[in-house]
Amino acid sequence: MLGKRQLQEIINWMKQTNEINENIIHWETIEGKEAINVPFPEELHPKLQAALEKRGITSLYSHQREAFDYGMKGMDFTAVTPTASGKTLCYNLPVLQTILENVEARALYMFPTKALSYDQKSELNELIDEAGIEINSYTYDGDTPAHIRQKIRKAGHIVITNPDMLHSGILPHHTKWVSLFENIKFIIVDELHIYRGVFGSHTANVIRRLKRICRFYGSDPVFICTSATIANPKELAEALTGKTMQLIDQNGAPSGRKHFVFYNPPIVNKQLNIRRSATLEVRKLAGEFLKNKIQTIIFAKSRVRVEIILTYLQELIKDKIGPKGIRGYRGGYLPTERREIEKGLRNGDIYGVVSTNALELGVDIGQLQVCIMTGYPGTIASAWQQAGRAGRRHGEALILYVASSAPLDQYIINHPEYFFKQSPEVARINPDNLIILVDHVKCAAFELPFKKGETFGGIDVEDVLDYLLDQKILVFSGNKYHWMSDSFPAHNISLRSASQENVVIIDQTDIAHVQVIGEMDTFSALTLLHDEAIYMHQGVQYQVEKLDWEEKKAFVREVQTDYYTDANLAVDLKVLEVDKERETDVAQIQYGDVAVQAMATIFKKIKFETHENIGSGPIHLPEQILHTTSAWISLKDEPNWHKDRLEQGLIGMAHLLKNMVPMYVMCDPSDVYVTPQLKSSHNEKPTIFLYDRYPGGVGLSDQIYDKITDILLEARKMIKNCPCENGCPSCIGTDGTSQNGKIDAITLLNAFLNGVLK
Amino acid sequence: MKLKNKLAVYQSYLPTGTKKQESQPEAKQELIDIPNLEKWHNFGVAPYILDDQYCLIREVRYPLETQRGKYTFFDYLNVVNAWQNHSLLHPLSAKGYRPTDLFFFDTETTGLGGGTGNTIFLLGYAFIDDDEVVVKQHLLPEPGGEIPLYHSFLKSVDYTTLVTYNGKAFDWPQVKTRHTLIREHVPKLPAFGHFDLLHASRRLWKDELESVKLTIVEKEVLGIEREEDVPGYLAPIIYFDFLQSNQLDGIVKVMEHNEEDVLSLIILYTHISCQLLGLDVNQTNREKLAVGKWYSALNERDAAIQVYEEAITSLRGREKWKGMYDLAIQYKKQKKRDMAEAIWQEIIELGNGIEKINACIELAKVHEHVNKDFEKALQLSILALEEYESTQLLDYKNNHLKEELEKRILRLEGKIRREKSN
Repeated sequence: MLGKRQLQEIINWMKQTNEINENIIHWETIEGKEAINVPFPEELHPKLQAALEKRGITSLYSHQREAFDYGMKGMDFTAVTPTASGKTLCYNLPVLQTILENVEARALYMFPTKALSYDQKSELNELIDEAGIEINSYTYDGDTPAHIRQKIRKAGHIVITNPDMLHSGILPHHTKWVSLFENIKFIIVDELHIYRGVFGSHTANVIRRLKRICRFYGSDPVFICTSATIANPKELAEALTGKTMQLIDQNGAPSGRKHFVFYNPPIVNKQLNIRRSATLEVRKLAGEFLKNKIQTIIFAKSRVRVEIILTYLQELIKDKIGPKGIRGYRGGYLPTERREIEKGLRNGDIYGVVSTNALELGVDIGQLQVCIMTGYPGTIASAWQQAGRAGRRHGEALILYVASSAPLDQYIINHPEYFFKQSPEVARINPDNLIILVDHVKCAAFELPFKKGETFGGIDVEDVLDYLLDQKILVFSGNKYHWMSDSFPAHNISLRSASQENVVIIDQTDIAHVQVIGEMDTFSALTLLHDEAIYMHQGVQYQVEKLDWEEKKAFVREVQTDYYTDANLAVDLKVLEVDKERETDVAQIQYGDVAVQAMATIFKKIKFETHENIGSGPIHLPEQILHTTSAWISLKDEPNWHKDRLEQGLIGMAHLLKNMVPMYVMCDPSDVYVTPQLKSSHNEKPTIFLYDRYPGGVGLSDQIYDKITDILLEARKMIKNCPCENGCPSCIGTDGTSQNGKIDAITLLNAFLNGVLK
Repeated sequence: MKLKNKLAVYQSYLPTGTKKQESQPEAKQELIDIPNLEKWHNFGVAPYILDDQYCLIREVRYPLETQRGKYTFFDYLNVVNAWQNHSLLHPLSAKGYRPTDLFFFDTETTGLGGGTGNTIFLLGYAFIDDDEVVVKQHLLPEPGGEIPLYHSFLKSVDYTTLVTYNGKAFDWPQVKTRHTLIREHVPKLPAFGHFDLLHASRRLWKDELESVKLTIVEKEVLGIEREEDVPGYLAPIIYFDFLQSNQLDGIVKVMEHNEEDVLSLIILYTHISCQLLGLDVNQTNREKLAVGKWYSALNERDAAIQVYEEAITSLRGREKWKGMYDLAIQYKKQKKRDMAEAIWQEIIELGNGIEKINACIELAKVHEHVNKDFEKALQLSILALEEYESTQLLDYKNNHLKEELEKRILRLEGKIRREKSN
């Protein structure tokens, strides 16, 4: 190969080379789009206009203008903004204009991470400097030095922070922020789609507290949200902020032509349907682009994967572009290091970057030419965010999706239409989850006493307040509930932890360098982290040497074995209350509260490939109880099968469903548990329960109840299209070892869907 | 009519034993049920009622001749007078104030950290009135009574001249926080003057005492012994218990603790003033050095020199060299170079350690930059380096010294070479 090749040439090469194109399942070309430009608004301050013109911006995109108009009219709105569509102007323009018109006006910007705050601050300050206006914007987070904090509180026009800092650093000290809260005109919630599940449910309550404090100081700010593409941006924004939102979803930004290529690594073991590693395929493909100095971003799902791919690539191309030409980017890197990488990408010094989803968010790295996803990122929204990293406004871009053997990956690669046609996932939150709600009512009571009859986020919390009275945390006096405890409630409440108590996984392979490699909720730990369990982490096998249940620590050591462990979990699931139900001729679908009692009993050692049982042992762990919300489906009539066969069929189907759920509800497969029961205790029917992992539920089961038919339909499609013969890890899971596991699962799906039973 | 209501109606006919509180809207008292009124009364506490809420105010008086540790309250009057004749600008100076102007202030709160939900339940202060020391305490009898609490407090205290212990960082910000919550109902809080004695204690005694907590300073420095004192950190729990049980025993102890605190603040202010004004005949040399340091930090050079000169006559060892070195720096800043150089010379000849190194460096600077005597400057620098190497200076603050000295030596050698070649 002589000389450098252009992207177009490589595209042709991919199409023409057999060993590449035989793995390409789908090639979709999305044509470019012209910009929809509209003139600057007449009232736009001349200094702002001049600053924009200095940057070469002579008009606005239609959505930016729409945002400006809503903002200036004081209307709450949510803008759906893909990567590189100029979203920051959607909020910066109305905010700066308002402060220019009234120097007392204040705004609060909330970003989900600190890194994003810094990025936005520099961008905002550049605009302010170019406009030559006197507006102070500061980031306020855990890293802000003490000596400038007071200045920010008094004189910061724009305060940039994150929900965690708002929760524990600003709201509990609101009396130090009087000038902000008295004059706050805008609250900006960027990256709205991140606020889902537990984190979103917590943040919605932080916003309830924020609004309550604003009311105390007599202000009523406008909320502006920006979001990546999700199915329900307006609904999510309304649930998060408690405001009625206008929606801006017509994007006026231009885009270049994009090639979307679905690449499935070849099968290396037909019987077990095992494919070549996605990592190795990515190395081959990315190497080709980088050798030709085509700017490429590679997304990997974990930090470890990032490092592996990075090492491969640096080795592969060190002669061509040198080791500095390709970099890693992930959490755990120092901020200065990250800034340097971002800058290198913008100015072209760096050709390639391997990243976790850290770069999926709005960090400015300019636009690259090629994006490679190593495995499906989990949601359509994420995939589009990552894909958005490639694609200059003019010229072509290539997006490569390389699938792994995981069920969801295989489903997506075989159903490109799902990706391109289907509306993306729904993001759900449940701000009224009792556990989360009580936490934040405590914080709110610390911040301001509750008046009798006062609601919180529109809901009546008198029972909660009375409960806190009983707990001697509040005292009722003068018709108000007063905080009366010597604790500081926000310090004990983390917005991000999924469960109050997690088991920490400690790798002691290198005794001189013991490190924490992960954590797991106690419920999952019962079956995955018991003594002697083989625990898989980023593709590496570890054996649990000791699980210290009291201290919630699992000590593991790296091993190489030819077996995995499978624990039996005796689950007793009781329906506490049915809130919603509907029926078909053959199936009953219900939603409500359940109590799950789980006890790990024994574990088996199972040999890879042959699935032989080569040993077993007891597990001595206490029973766990989880109260949560669930959606479940029951068959009214059961097939005339032997009980074991029916059980295997249900297990296979449960495994399928668990993997399909994230396609409809924005969550990880591990956020939802699935339990099949041969005879459910509440109706004696074969039933599959799907329930939220977080106690009390964060709205996932609710969504599953609504979408169950779609989920079943897609599950059937997926299992039918799976190329395996009798079931494999990609469809019904490794459990299904019986001959008819696959066909039985399909039969049951048919039964649930249209009442046809064989 | 119930007995309680009857009592309220006929209260003015009954002998009370105390002077009537002025401006108290007594007519309304019958509307409010105040538990344990009689017990409170025996403890010197009377209710303060505003609209339909109330707080409790306790007042205790002490004659000025009361002895407290090493001093009586008369001594306080004396030091305030002494400040009047002193020309020094010192943050703790009472110049321009009468003894009756200062309010010695301390709070008790429901939490130990900050935050809006940390409620102040007791505002206590001591001041001079009518040749007596008065301790006044405003207690929040239930959380809903903050408006009368702050209302009564703000109108009876001059918050421009508070004397506190860590009030700058804790008590006053907390007062401002709670005040913000009810700001529409109570007088505004203006900017205020503030004497914080914690900083003074740190400067004077932090090396000698295990901590500069008020109770420790009080015991070790002021010679005050408390009997049956409730530790401050128990105050929140005792208060919660009082709210639940309405039993006075515990909360009364907390009020006595607070009373001890504010009384000690008068004595502490007296003692610190004596240190600063040189009125304490028992002043230790360490204290003298600390005072000298403080004056030099305030650029009060004459005062600093005076204290240092007194101190070094009786100091021995390290402390002596330290004091001399600091004294020389004062002379240097006053451009009294000869006096400074003589002291450095003495330290170099007789002293050792970090002071000797620093004295060498100072003298070397003079020789290098003023006298242009590079040889002498080099000798001194080498001497300093030798001293550095023979003394084991483990303090990380001194790590840079060696590097600096080596640089200095190189530079001087260069200058000497150039001079010779010219």
